[in-house]
Amino acid sequence: MAKESTVLIYGTNLGGYRAAYAFCKKGYKVILLNRGRYVDEMKNQALAQLPLDFCWICGHMPQRLFKAIGCVTDCYNAELLEVSGEAGHFKVKYRTKAQLVNNFACAECDQCIEVCPVRVGDRKAIFVHPEAAWENIYLIDWEQCTRCGKCEEICPTGALKLERSEEVQEMDVGVIILAPEFDEPIEADLEEFGLGKTPHVMKNSTIARKSLLTNFVRDSVTLPSGKVPQSFGIVITPHFNKSGIEYENYNLSVSAAHRAVKLKEILPEAQVTIFLRDYRGFGKKHYLWYKKAQDAGVQLVKTHKLKMTPQGEENVAIEYEENGRGGTQRVELAILITGQKSPALMEPLSRICGVKADDRGFCQIRPFSSCETDVDGIFAVGEFSGPKGNPETIWEGCAALTEALKYLGEPNFQRAAPPPLKDMAGERPRVGVFICSCFGTFNKRMDLEVLRETTEGLPGVSHTEIIRACCTPATIKETAERIKKSGVNRVVLAVCTPLQKLLKYRKTVMMAGLNPLLTEYVRLREDVIYVHKDRDKMLTKALALIRVGIERVRRGAQASPPTDAFTPHALVIGGGLSGLVAADGIASNGFTVTLVEQKDTLGGHIEYLWPAQKDYVWSLISKVESNSNVIVYKNAVLKETAGYAGNFKATVSTPDGDVSVDTGVVILATGAREYRPDGFLYGKDPRIITQLELKERLPQLLKAERGPRAVAMVQCVGSKDARHPYCSRICCDQALENAIKLRQKNSDVTIFYRDMTSYGQENLYKKAGKLGVKFVRFEDHHYPEVRKSGKTLEVVTANGNKQEADLVVLSTGIVPDIANNEDLSFLLGYPLDADGFFDSDANAYPYEEAIKRLTKPYEWATNCIYPVGLAHSPRGFDACILTARDAAGRALTILGKKRMPPPNAMYVADVKESLCMGCGVCVDVCAYSARHIDPSKKVAVVHPFLCDSCGSCVAICPNDASYLTDFKSNQPIGALDVLLGT
Amino acid sequence: MKEFEPKIVYFLCDWCGTGGCETASAHHLYYPENVLISRVHCTGSLSAVHILRSLIEGADGVVISGCHPGDCHFETGNYRARRRVAVVKSILETLELGPERVWFRYVAHGEGRRFVDTAAEFNDHLKKLGPNPLKLRRDT
Repeated sequence: MAKESTVLIYGTNLGGYRAAYAFCKKGYKVILLNRGRYVDEMKNQALAQLPLDFCWICGHMPQRLFKAIGCVTDCYNAELLEVSGEAGHFKVKYRTKAQLVNNFACAECDQCIEVCPVRVGDRKAIFVHPEAAWENIYLIDWEQCTRCGKCEEICPTGALKLERSEEVQEMDVGVIILAPEFDEPIEADLEEFGLGKTPHVMKNSTIARKSLLTNFVRDSVTLPSGKVPQSFGIVITPHFNKSGIEYENYNLSVSAAHRAVKLKEILPEAQVTIFLRDYRGFGKKHYLWYKKAQDAGVQLVKTHKLKMTPQGEENVAIEYEENGRGGTQRVELAILITGQKSPALMEPLSRICGVKADDRGFCQIRPFSSCETDVDGIFAVGEFSGPKGNPETIWEGCAALTEALKYLGEPNFQRAAPPPLKDMAGERPRVGVFICSCFGTFNKRMDLEVLRETTEGLPGVSHTEIIRACCTPATIKETAERIKKSGVNRVVLAVCTPLQKLLKYRKTVMMAGLNPLLTEYVRLREDVIYVHKDRDKMLTKALALIRVGIERVRRGAQASPPTDAFTPHALVIGGGLSGLVAADGIASNGFTVTLVEQKDTLGGHIEYLWPAQKDYVWSLISKVESNSNVIVYKNAVLKETAGYAGNFKATVSTPDGDVSVDTGVVILATGAREYRPDGFLYGKDPRIITQLELKERLPQLLKAERGPRAVAMVQCVGSKDARHPYCSRICCDQALENAIKLRQKNSDVTIFYRDMTSYGQENLYKKAGKLGVKFVRFEDHHYPEVRKSGKTLEVVTANGNKQEADLVVLSTGIVPDIANNEDLSFLLGYPLDADGFFDSDANAYPYEEAIKRLTKPYEWATNCIYPVGLAHSPRGFDACILTARDAAGRALTILGKKRMPPPNAMYVADVKESLCMGCGVCVDVCAYSARHIDPSKKVAVVHPFLCDSCGSCVAICPNDASYLTDFKSNQPIGALDVLLGT
Repeated sequence: MKEFEPKIVYFLCDWCGTGGCETASAHHLYYPENVLISRVHCTGSLSAVHILRSLIEGADGVVISGCHPGDCHFETGNYRARRRVAVVKSILETLELGPERVWFRYVAHGEGRRFVDTAAEFNDHLKKLGPNPLKLRRDT
């Protein structure tokens, strides 16, 4: 029996969205069960996790694009009811109820709001969601609504229906992905912090939502009395809350630091204090926020005990205590940075599909998998399987593709071919001006008929018309037909907002057989109707803007979108754990892989691993080596690369001579090294060793009658110091594991630490504490000193505390292999970050700049070069595997596509060769390395796959030879002349 | 005498600038009608020629808004624009038009209020500054 190909995704956390995106792109139909009432209802939870008050994630959600082309079926108010069958042949039953206002059919004309007779505060009973940013989401206040039906009556598109019935549907699917959103702690969970008892305590997520997309930081923290607080206390609640209520995930410490820095920026005089137990910035560049907060004058209080008491109507008192020292601070606003609870959906879902919970109540993932549950063919991504941050959640979305493809049948979705475009070459421009009336609503504010008449007489205009709209399926069709009938070859559409509806407008003109480069979209609503008052002046301005549009289309030239071949091959550099996982992920899904390893054996730093993990790596090595899709070169290095994303030509130097490899994607899995400490008397005494050396000696020590009498461990050696401003992430876990084992042999273990950041291993920290491992904190850069007095070793802290030890263990961090990374960085033109690891996109989430990189399709964001594992940043075993599978998934979405349009479709730069003199300034200015000078012709050449259409080359070109396809040099000048000529 | 109404060209980048402008519209924030919007893909793609051309063709002032530093969709476009505006200002000084006819101000996607305030402030500023001398010269 052929396997099913449809994928069911339950829930809309970021991982679910990302998985939907990846499967659609790969050609599989996806059913997306959204538990919420509208697109972003649950997504906003993810925002609460993001350190920023800005995300733009909704703009890249798969529904909008893939629903439009028919790949995604989305269901709202959905609930999964039954699952039967097995992997590849699941039968699912779910309940769904359509949105009251179908936002895909809604034209946002606001007529429903106008006719609504019920006023609720400053809004009506039907209102636009104030926080969802990308699209206007219309909601009905069901309690206040009188069901008068006026809105339904007036809705011109039929998008609004007050009665929606519940439907139960059954489907056959191949794979199920569980992606429910995380459960935020509620008021009762945060009782001890005074949430809900006083307005002086607020959740960070509330503030994030308030200041979302508005940057109104000041407004978002203003107290109900109207006062802007001058003292803030930021509390990371999972550090202090009763255990088991909430779990800390990836970004909380960074969220705290970010919030503090933002507050300091807006209110420089304010006093901002962060209360936390340890600063846990595990991710790439997270530790920099700690320094940023310190530099901004934020006070950080690390404490184990904290008590919050509201003080009447005035403020909140925060009492803290650490090692007998403590104090009280009164703050006007306490901001709670909250974690996540174990999912409430775990119980019903384990009943429905048999997935099991782990000891914390999260969904259990099978060993050595990134997201497959105990049930074959059922995957769990994102916060459902543990407390997580956004980068991990997003990685899991693509990792699910890598792991799930084996259960699916052939791709079952083929995109319909775009409508054929008429060839306009040589035709005299005949411009049609189409003015949208938004179902008659624009007429009320402005005299559209006069505007149309005035436009009619303009040079080049052969047709003018007022249309109903062109943003709902029916009106798009209607307008396309009108454009076709009018016989024009260039179009100016005067509409509301191309920012949101560009694809719809483009579709309209393409359905009429016109090239989108021969169209202009004038923002009649955004630039004129909604922002001006004087009707005469509005008319003048609208006319000027339409004339600009006419001028631009008259000067526009048609061009078909360039396409380029894509080599269906992957090159993996580095045969360690991450490289093996990535190679296996791609090869076992049917694509050829070249694996290049510097040493003569595969497996990388296998000595770091525990026995079970070693066995896994051994089995992976034999799997990869026996796969006919993989060619392994050992003792080999990358010597040269040419080409560009999608079509790299690499030369690999092997013991048997140079080999040339044509590849579409490159995966960098070059790993990293252990830090070799200088100082701490390391190497001067055999009793001073690193955690890794301890791990090797441990079996011996544990066999002995008695363990060492006193062991001292020093954390953060070579991490979070001046030279290595990052957390190495694995050393705390290693230290805790070793300490527990030693303590069980009755050794006295003292851990000198700055912050215990045992990521995802909270239980180890607790267990160590219970067993009697002593923890002694040192401040920032005051590392304890290791001294030798006579025969005994001592560890001396900055404040003079001495601790004798038989064995001193240094928890050394991870450092990048700088020389090797720099070579590869140079060869591939791929940047390194400040620490010497390879730069990346998603992991740099806390940094504003990085968000922008995500606006390209994910798999293109790093130009088909994917750093994974330790080459990317320090991380543990599971996270290495995860990034490798994510990269494999990203590569799989594009491998196998023979010819592809560039990521920016037709809006790319090009060069007019007759004008180009090959000076090369455009090559220097290009931030994307998308240009080079052709050595024989001596002209600049653009790689469309790399170009991001920023236009820097256009502005810098001294000869006007560079242009963007929609921004030819004479277009803006002509447009300016017209704009000012009116 | 009729009050002088300056003609203003407001260049916005397609990302934050346009976003700010659309946020203003979503909140129905008012700004003067004589502010004419012109969009460029990135402020970095705006050439000095475009700014000067606007002033020659009769604009009384030019204001440019793009993403905040570090926020540029294209990484560095707004820095290029900032430098270019500085150059244009020095050119304007040489021409004795004064550097104050060109403003460069960052507007983020959500800063609809800032966009509207900039437009209004620049309008008032130009009213005080008077018409573009180039325009007078051409009119006579």
